[in-house]
Amino acid sequence: MKHTSTLAAWRGRLAGQIPLISLIALCILTALLTPRFLSPLNLTNILVQSSIMAVIAIGMTFVIVGGGFDLSVGSTAALAGCVASMVMLQTGITAGVVAGIMAGGAVGLVNGLVIAFLDVNPFITTLGTMVLVRGVVFLITGGAPVSGEYGLPGAFVAFGSERFLGIHLLVWVPALLLAILSFVMYATPYGRRVYATGGGREAAYLSGIPVRRVIASTYVWCGALAGLAGVMLAARLQSGQPTAGEFYELTAIAAVVLGGASLHGGEGSLYKSVIGVFIMIVLGNALNLLNVDSYWQRVAVGIVIVAAAAAERLRSRS
Amino acid sequence: MPSAISTERISKHFGANRALDQIDFDVAFGEVHALVGENGAGKSTLIRILSGVHQPDAGRILVEGKEQRFAGPHDAIAAGIVTIPQELRLVPALSIAENIALGDLPVRRFGPMALIDRGRLREQGRAVLAQLDFVPDVDCPVSRLSFAERQLVAIGRALHRECRIFILDEPTAALEQHEIERLFSVLKRMRAQGTAIIYISHELDEVVEVADRCTVLRDGRVVASARRGSFAVADLISAMTGRVQDPGGSAPRALGPTLLHMQRGNDQPVSVHAGEMIGLAGLLGSGTEAIMRGLFGVLRPDAGISVGGEPRTLRGPADAIASGIGFSPGERALGLVLNQSVRDNILLASLDQVTRNFVVDRQAGDRIAAELIDLLDIRPRRPELPVRALSGGNQQKVLLAKWLARRVRLLLLEEPTQGIDVGAKAQIHALIRDFVTRGGGALIASSDLAELARLCDAVLAVRQGAITARLDRTAGLDDATLRTAIGA
Ligand SMILES: Nc1ncnc2c1ncn2[C@@H]1O[C@H](COP(=O)(O)OP(=O)(O)OP(=O)(O)O)[C@@H](O)[C@H]1O
Ligand SMILES: [Mg+2]
Repeated sequence: MKHTSTLAAWRGRLAGQIPLISLIALCILTALLTPRFLSPLNLTNILVQSSIMAVIAIGMTFVIVGGGFDLSVGSTAALAGCVASMVMLQTGITAGVVAGIMAGGAVGLVNGLVIAFLDVNPFITTLGTMVLVRGVVFLITGGAPVSGEYGLPGAFVAFGSERFLGIHLLVWVPALLLAILSFVMYATPYGRRVYATGGGREAAYLSGIPVRRVIASTYVWCGALAGLAGVMLAARLQSGQPTAGEFYELTAIAAVVLGGASLHGGEGSLYKSVIGVFIMIVLGNALNLLNVDSYWQRVAVGIVIVAAAAAERLRSRS
Repeated sequence: MPSAISTERISKHFGANRALDQIDFDVAFGEVHALVGENGAGKSTLIRILSGVHQPDAGRILVEGKEQRFAGPHDAIAAGIVTIPQELRLVPALSIAENIALGDLPVRRFGPMALIDRGRLREQGRAVLAQLDFVPDVDCPVSRLSFAERQLVAIGRALHRECRIFILDEPTAALEQHEIERLFSVLKRMRAQGTAIIYISHELDEVVEVADRCTVLRDGRVVASARRGSFAVADLISAMTGRVQDPGGSAPRALGPTLLHMQRGNDQPVSVHAGEMIGLAGLLGSGTEAIMRGLFGVLRPDAGISVGGEPRTLRGPADAIASGIGFSPGERALGLVLNQSVRDNILLASLDQVTRNFVVDRQAGDRIAAELIDLLDIRPRRPELPVRALSGGNQQKVLLAKWLARRVRLLLLEEPTQGIDVGAKAQIHALIRDFVTRGGGALIASSDLAELARLCDAVLAVRQGAITARLDRTAGLDDATLRTAIGA
């Protein structure tokens, strides 16, 4: 009896770490296939690429755990990058960064209010704002990159390439966010309410949880973090790019699901979503290093997403 | 003649938890075989195996003497087994008639095209529900029905299917006497036609009435099995619990101040004092649910409510909870976040109470959860288990624990002992009694009139949305008077 119980406990624990195990397996496999994978340059590259997507995926996890969905994050990131660049050129770096994040938060607030208080389907709402926000970006920029006559302020551009303790500043951002927001999700009543609302809206409502406000708040987080990601991207690209962030929403959602979150809500963790981001980025990187044709890359990534989701369902069914 | 269906040494584990241990069970054609046992004894697990939802770890299933393996529910249905599971599975957005015929909708063919034959669909739905004396608008979506009505639709759906083996897992949990009687007459007719029936219930009187044979499960094992005439309610109880039942009397209580008062038009007022248990009785669709939800702020109440002597407008559950009111809905899934742990569900309404400096105090929360799990005897004693993995009766206890954790003063309880075994029922009654003795009040809506008559100090009768009478214990209270008062 004792024996089976420890065995079962171990199996449960392992099953919870499937994303991490897959990531490690993927890294080992790639390293065996091509030595270039482990070169410092490549590893740094992966970290930096992952950092921006991780910030978006963290916000997306809030929404998905709360039982929702957000397609507008890519457009929101572009909006934030352009707004930040424009304000920065006028008034200064801090004001620019704040304006970018607030622009993202504002898009999130609109999404949240429409979805939570008007009961409009999240898929269709954020599909709408995705298109709408992209339109606004083109309107305010005239379709051209925002970098001013002499480029964005040097200190801001430096943020996209400087390091602290040997690690890119861009990478510190999601690392800090992960630590702080994981604490918010696990240890604060607010975080527990997000899980309860996503897991059983009616039960949460009948337990006195203000479910509409909770749901709306998850979209604000998601929008603001997409805004922050857009600002980071602007620093990296040294300009506000109106076309930036296309398809980011798909990668972010795939990463969150790869990390084991349920699209039905109530399940998911920020840390595992970040693992999911790494899986997506490492996979793309590996296929690149192996010189896989870019059309085939898409096919491969698609297969991985569907297979991972199917494996997850099979596991939870047994 | 071989049994309709039988199991040989069926075992099933969930992780380290053994739900079934070498079960031998069988039912013959033309027989009603009842399955009873405490909450968590393994009844639903056995049924889920017989209906292909779970696969056994060991043992065989034989249908008419031939071994069968069910890879999923479709295999069981193909073998002629129809089940009404404890957790109903209806499609909320579809109409009553569509739910009943789901799987073989009547169609009209136009060459290669098949269109749903709406007329026949409605007729079939009406005919099948008429057997249960239930005459709803069959075009109404199921999402708008009460839990009891949905239970009737689920029974109707099962009756609609051709079946040789019919399994019912606590089908009467929310039903009134009258509908139960109708169901029994349908079951007796099916038995006469040779259907094999497995019937699970915690209402032992029902079991004695309808069963030809009765098997008692305890902790995943068969502990007793007997034929009609050789078992009585008391025997079943002692076999189930392994102890003799104590009847549990009610001590007179001193009444405190008024906790809740509601006056609607010319209705009898609803008023609950500290130390008082008031019942709410009504037939299916009489409106007890709307009254409960009005008092909890879910529906806009059409009457003045005062809490603790002061008029209050309850804009939502949060307001009601803040004024010390807790509500446990008759349908468990509405009160519980099924994927979350027992602990998290118990603390769901008390997050602010266990928060220190903006952070949930895990230790305080664990302590409260552990205390309540002990107090209510929730099994298994594992606060980290998702509520989904608990048996129905134990889920019901978690629902109650949630409000005890919050220390509300007034409990609004819908079907508080629904799906709870006799032993635990006495426990829950004692808990509610204890709660009111310590200055709480309870308003209890139940379709079990005998329960209300035994438990409550007074019962309000509801007819067509209006509270028409108040029957006090002092004036004599029994289920016969209650039945007359609600117009049954
Ligand atoms: N999916 C599951 N995962 C883990 N444990 C489970 C699962 N389903 C049932 N169990 C456990 O198996 C045991 C038997 O549960 P079961 O639902 O069969 O009880 P029951 O006799 O139907 O009780 P009730 O009268 O309360 O409905 C319980 O200890 C329960 O916690
Ligand atoms: Mg059961």
